[in-house]
Amino acid sequence: MKRGMLWSFVCAVLLVGMAGAPAAPAGDMELINGIDANFPPFSYVDKNGNPDGFDVQAVNWIAEEMGFKVTHKPIDWDAIIPSLRAEKIDMIASGMSITEKRKEQVAFTNPYWTITQVLVVPEDSNLTVEQILSDGNKVGVQRGTSEAKWIQENLIKKEGRDFELVMYDSAPLSVEDVVNGRIVAAAMDDAPAVDAVKKKPVKILGRFGMPDESFGYAVRKEDKELLETLNEGLRRLMASPYWEELKSKYEL
Amino acid sequence: MPASIDAILDALPYLLQGSLVTIGVVLGAMGLGLLIGVSLALGQVYGPRPLGVPIGLYIWFFRGVPLLVLLFLFYFGLFSLMGLNLSAFAVAAIVLGLISAAYQSQIFRGAILSLPEGQLKAARALGMSDTRAIVSVVLPQALRLSIPGWSNEYSIVLKDSAVAYALGVAEVMARAHFVATRTYEHLPLYVAAGMIFLILTFLGTRGLRMLEDKVRIPGYSR
Repeated sequence: MKRGMLWSFVCAVLLVGMAGAPAAPAGDMELINGIDANFPPFSYVDKNGNPDGFDVQAVNWIAEEMGFKVTHKPIDWDAIIPSLRAEKIDMIASGMSITEKRKEQVAFTNPYWTITQVLVVPEDSNLTVEQILSDGNKVGVQRGTSEAKWIQENLIKKEGRDFELVMYDSAPLSVEDVVNGRIVAAAMDDAPAVDAVKKKPVKILGRFGMPDESFGYAVRKEDKELLETLNEGLRRLMASPYWEELKSKYEL
Repeated sequence: MPASIDAILDALPYLLQGSLVTIGVVLGAMGLGLLIGVSLALGQVYGPRPLGVPIGLYIWFFRGVPLLVLLFLFYFGLFSLMGLNLSAFAVAAIVLGLISAAYQSQIFRGAILSLPEGQLKAARALGMSDTRAIVSVVLPQALRLSIPGWSNEYSIVLKDSAVAYALGVAEVMARAHFVATRTYEHLPLYVAAGMIFLILTFLGTRGLRMLEDKVRIPGYSR
């Protein structure tokens, strides 16, 4: 009797373990869009746990217009391009800047958004951009972003400026540390910066010399057909009144 | 801080759904770890000498390589190369299970070695085969003795499961992070996530403690 119970426990654990592992998704025509769920207002997870944001709604519209199904899957930003190349997801529509380096790995649609990189500082800060980027100050940035790369390659290596770059998991976390006073400023895209200003005692100081960038949707290089579909979808979306509606909805 | 409490309450249903994902990963990992761990331990103690080398390598590898590296290795590398398109959830459970097996094997090995040696001899004298003796005499005792160490392993795997977010598994920590970025309530949400892990640890270790008492052999010292 006692032994029976022990073994039934063991079996139960094993069964639950196996039941918990779902089978691989069936191969229907549904595309998976990988998003950085920590990038409001372009992509985030809403109160009920559903993916939302400017990019998410834009892709939903395009999917309906062009006749495909799409789901949105939050993925860590560091792993998002490897996930695309390993066919874990089919596209990335999540405020991804089009860069030469990324173009070596993925194909981008036509740009749909121009983004400016800015510095976010505490509300009561009176430092200038020049002062921030010197004196051994600490400046935060999200790891794996184009701005992190640009700052390292241009400001630190080329110009040899005396400040330290601190890497964060997401732009909002770097804003938290600006408020905490651990770093003097955080560098990020202007849209999340505007979002931060609404929710935290910070202000946007201004640009720090990085050229403007454009967002595009990324797909695998060999998925030429999908790239065309998305380009056509974007063209139709940007020509439709819904585009303006989206912009005002997400306060962009 | 009423605003913080509001933030926690608002996010709670969403976080609790995430705890089901966490529980799924942990149960899968512990189950797989138990199966492989027991096999490894039996191989180490009773197997032929040459078997010790691959088992030693396995344990060395899975105890030595960081979890995040293994997750990436298996998710983007090994399973993809094998043509298996496993979900992030499944890969997280499997990788955590393979790692846990390495640790669990040593829990079981310790338990097996702590049994009096005379028992196997006695079993043989009663006419049992070695396999029969191991299954009916050694394992039932060793598994009972392993429960305390196992509950340790459970709480470690539970917390390690948060790393699965790197693959996109929306477990408790990942969800806390999502809500925090949207609302800028980082601290309250991490506190809430921490409390969920505390509760899960309590429930798990408590359950194992009860199991330990339940399967105890009366009159037999633990």
